[in-house]
Amino acid sequence: MSEFNSRMAAQRRIVHLVNGTSKGREELFGLSRQAIDRWIIANGIDAESRLVDLIRSAASRIACLATKSQEQVSEDYRALVQDIDAFAIQIETELG
Amino acid sequence: MSTHIYAFGSVCRGDVSLDSDVDLLAIVDGRDERFNLDIFSVYSAERIHALWNEGNPFAWHLALEARLLFSTEPTDLLSCLGNPKPYQKCADDCTKFANLFDEAHGSLLSQTSSTVFDLSMVFLSIRNIATCFSLGITEQPTFSRRSALELGRDSTPLSEQAYQVLERARVLCTRGYGPGLMRTETQAVLGELPAVKEWMTNLVRRVEEHE
Repeated sequence: MSEFNSRMAAQRRIVHLVNGTSKGREELFGLSRQAIDRWIIANGIDAESRLVDLIRSAASRIACLATKSQEQVSEDYRALVQDIDAFAIQIETELG
Repeated sequence: MSTHIYAFGSVCRGDVSLDSDVDLLAIVDGRDERFNLDIFSVYSAERIHALWNEGNPFAWHLALEARLLFSTEPTDLLSCLGNPKPYQKCADDCTKFANLFDEAHGSLLSQTSSTVFDLSMVFLSIRNIATCFSLGITEQPTFSRRSALELGRDSTPLSEQAYQVLERARVLCTRGYGPGLMRTETQAVLGELPAVKEWMTNLVRRVEEHE
């Protein structure tokens, strides 16, 4: 899988996990800051909660790879998969 | 510290709409914490040089459209770089976006909880494959959000209505802005996706033959 496709798959994994588990009024549309902010407001979620912190951290972890230099990227993508696994487990726990 | 700030995208092409944002690029030396990543695409000068040397589509996008807004130097960095190297990864890139389409389409068929996200990925794949195709195969590269509708007889078979729904999904996903999608709208788009799959497969085959 290309690095680009890996990044998109990581986003999909987090978004699906959140939307598949939480039954809010409006789904999480994406992992941009604005999309997360909208999801928080639309569903009356505590912006300071651990769940929100984990989602923002996962989003930030994925986004930072987009502008890194090519030399760093190959190594980082292996780490990304592990990190997203870890975020997914913690998010799943928070969603109960 | 050397800094260059550019505008690029719709504001430079003049094809603005109510949904348009302003694309800003900051080219900096190493790490620079001053720029809000929600507003700026931030690249190191080293990374920009690397993109130019690999003939990356984003480098061509900047070379053909970006306009300098501010520089700490007397020179325009991107103008000084001239044209990027020829674009040579068109088949790889088109395959990458065709795969993204397949993943999003498969996801849309198997679940209904993240429809907007997956439709946004569908839009990204359609727009980007069209942009790469236009840059790699045609004489007229297009970087517009509507690139897939601007390929003449190679344009996507999507209806204008479906394309607009996909654009809205993309704006919701990236900017969290706009009305949500109605079930009837998403169902209508889903009905058109098999034709899009065929169109993409054809584009990939054309690019592979060309290379």
